[in-house]
Amino acid sequence: MLGPLHQLTAALYLLASLVAGVGMAVPSSRVARAAVGLLILGVVIHGITFSVLHTADPPPPLTDLPAAVSFMAWIGTIFFLALLRWAHLIHLVGWVAPVAFLGVFFSGLRLTAAGPATFGGSGSWPHAHVLLGSAGISLLGLAALAGLLFLTEHRRLKAKRPLSRRLGLPSLEALDRVNVAALAVGFPLLTLGVITGVLWVETVSGKLWTATAHETWCSIAWAVYLVLVAVRFGSAGQGGRRAAVFAVGGFAFLFFAVIGVGLIG
Amino acid sequence: MKILLTGLNHRSAPVELRERLVVEDPAPALRKLVAEEEVDEAVLLSTCNRVELIALTRTPEAARHRLRSFFRRDLGGDDLAAFGDIREYLYEFTDAEAVRHVLRVASALDSMVMGEPQILGQTKDAYRDAVDCKACGPILGRLFQNAFATAKRVRTETRIAERPVSLARVAVDLARQIFDEFADKRALLIGAGEMIEAALESLRADGLVSVCVANRTPERAADLAVRFGATAHGLDELETLVAQADVVLTSIGGNRPILTRSLVEAALRMRRNRPIFVIDLGVPRNAAPEIDSLDNVYRYDIDDLASIADGNAQERSREAARGEAIVLEQQQRFEGWLAALRAVPTIRHLRTRAEEIRHREVQRVLGRLALSEADEAAVQALTRSIVNKILHQPVSRLRREAEREEGLVYLEAARELFGLDAEELRPGDGLGGSSSGAAGDESEPTDDGPGDR
Repeated sequence: MLGPLHQLTAALYLLASLVAGVGMAVPSSRVARAAVGLLILGVVIHGITFSVLHTADPPPPLTDLPAAVSFMAWIGTIFFLALLRWAHLIHLVGWVAPVAFLGVFFSGLRLTAAGPATFGGSGSWPHAHVLLGSAGISLLGLAALAGLLFLTEHRRLKAKRPLSRRLGLPSLEALDRVNVAALAVGFPLLTLGVITGVLWVETVSGKLWTATAHETWCSIAWAVYLVLVAVRFGSAGQGGRRAAVFAVGGFAFLFFAVIGVGLIG
Repeated sequence: MKILLTGLNHRSAPVELRERLVVEDPAPALRKLVAEEEVDEAVLLSTCNRVELIALTRTPEAARHRLRSFFRRDLGGDDLAAFGDIREYLYEFTDAEAVRHVLRVASALDSMVMGEPQILGQTKDAYRDAVDCKACGPILGRLFQNAFATAKRVRTETRIAERPVSLARVAVDLARQIFDEFADKRALLIGAGEMIEAALESLRADGLVSVCVANRTPERAADLAVRFGATAHGLDELETLVAQADVVLTSIGGNRPILTRSLVEAALRMRRNRPIFVIDLGVPRNAAPEIDSLDNVYRYDIDDLASIADGNAQERSREAARGEAIVLEQQQRFEGWLAALRAVPTIRHLRTRAEEIRHREVQRVLGRLALSEADEAAVQALTRSIVNKILHQPVSRLRREAEREEGLVYLEAARELFGLDAEELRPGDGLGGSSSGAAGDESEPTDDGPGDR
C-alpha cells in the first residue's frame, strides 16, 4: 500500500511542477492556480501516506533519513501553502513543487529498504526529536529558498537589468516576508528538536551530553541560528539582502551539520 | 460588395489636424452615411491617434468619393483650410488591404506604442456605436468580431504587451518587483514634472494612497500638494521624509545631488533598513550614484529607465512579426467566409425555385384529394423534407466551392442547370439581417449563409 501511495504523491508533486512550469512559461495565473491545486492534492495524499505508514506493525521509524526527508518535504509544502495567500506566493509554486517532488522521490527510493529500528527504553523522544527537528529544518529550508530567490532578484535589480516576468518571482517584499515567517516558526521548532534530542540522549546514556559529532555540529548550527534570529528580530532591523544571505548561509551550515556530518561519519 | 477604408493616423497626419477631426459622437454622422446610396454599412473609429471610416458598398467609386468628402466636409468643414488638400493626409484601402488594416489596428500592431491595450477597447466602442445606430450590418459586424478575436490571439499568443515601454510604466513595473502592494506604501515627490506626474498616476492606479511633496519653496510645495492631494514640506525635512517614504520620485533643478549617500544612509537607519526605491528623473541627477552601493536602496535614473524601455520596445518589435502572422491567418479566415457569401443569392434562388415547384405540385394534388387538416399538414411536411434532403448536398457543396475562385464555376453550373437568374448579393444576405450583437459575440450564420469554419 505504501509504495503506490508514495508513487502517487511523487507523481502529483511532479505534475504540479510541470503545470507550474507551464504557468511560468505562458505566463498564466490560472495555470499556476491549477498547479497549486495539484500541490494541495499531493500534500493530502502525502499525509495519508504517513498515516498508512503508522498502521504498520511495527511502524517503520521516521528516524530513518529517507522518511525524515519525506516528512521535511511535506511540512515545508504545507507551510508554503499556508503562506500562499498572505505573501502572494502563487508564482513560487514552480519552485516549491520540484523541491517537494525531489524530497519524496529521494525518500521513495530507499524507504522500502529501511527496516524497523528499535529504541529500547527511549520512549517517544526519538520520534519527537526527528519530527520537530525535521519540521524546523524544513521551514528554515523554505527561508533559504526564499533567500536564494531574493538574492537573484536583488542582484538583477541592482544591475538594472529588467526581470523576465516568465521567472514568475514574487516581489522582494514578499520573499522577505516568507523569510521572516519561516524563521519565526522554524527556529522554535528546531530548538524543540534539539531539546528533545538532548532528552533522548539522556534517556539512553544517562548523560545530557555525549559529545558525538552529530551533537556537537547540531549545537553549533543551533547557536548560529540563535545569532541570526537575534539580528533579524533585533531593534536595528536587517536589510532584506543581508537577511537573505544569512538564511542561505545558515541553512547550508545546518544541512551540513545534520546530514553532511552523518554521511561523513 | 467592397470593403473600403479611408482614414488618417499619427503617421499620415499631424496632431493639429487629427485633433480637429476627432468625433465625440459618431452616431449622427454614421446614420447620415448609411442613409445615402453609396454606403451600405459603416463603422467610424476615432481616437487621439487615428480617425478611420470603414464602409461596405456596392458602388466602390462613388463610395470612395463619398468617404473622402466625409473627412473634408462632414468632419472638417472650413476649419481645415489651413491644411490645404486633406486628401494628402488620407490613406485608402480596399477589400483585403482594408480587412488586414482593421485587424492590425485592433491588435495594436499599427499603434504609436505597439501592443498598447487601449486601442482594442476603442475599437469595440466604435463597433458598438455603429451597431447601436444600425450602421453596422452583418458583414462589417463579422469583420469586427474577427478583429476582436485576432487582437485576443495576438495578446495571448505573443509577448507583445508583456513589457512596458513608457518610462512611467517601466518605473511602476520595477516598483512591483520590489514591493508587493502599494496600499500601505508612501511616495515622496521632490519637485515636479510631466514624467513624475505620469509615474505617480501609474502608482496610484496600482493602489498607492499616501503621498507627500517636498520643494525648495514652500509655496510651490503647497501648490503641488493641493494638485496631488498630498502633504507639503520643505527640503530641510528631506532626511525624515526619505525615511518615511518607500518610493522617492525626484525631478528638481540644481547642480548637485540632493539625495546624498550620507542622507540616504541616515534615512535607512531611521526606517530600520526597509527598502527604498528611488526614481530619479532629474537632469542633472538628483540622487548621488553612490547610493547604489547601499543594500536596501534601488536607484534608477532617467537613462536606466529609458534603456529598459528601449529594450522592451525592441522585444515588442520582435513579437510583432508573430502578431502579423496571426493577422494574416485571421484575414484569410475572414476572406474565406466573405467569399462563401457569393453562393448566397444562387442558393436562395435555388431554394425559392424548389419551394415554388413543391408548393404548386402539392396544391395540385391536394385539390384532388379530400384530406383532413392533419393529413394535409403531414403531406406538406413530407414534401418539404424531401426537397430539403435533395438540396442539402448541392447547397453544401456550393457553399464550400464559393470560397475558392475556381469554385465559382459550380455556381455558374447550378444557375445554368436550374435556370436561375444571376443575382447580386444584397445587404443583410447570409446572416439574417443586421448585426445587433454586442462586441465579442459571434454572429450565428443562417441556413443560407456560410457556416463558421
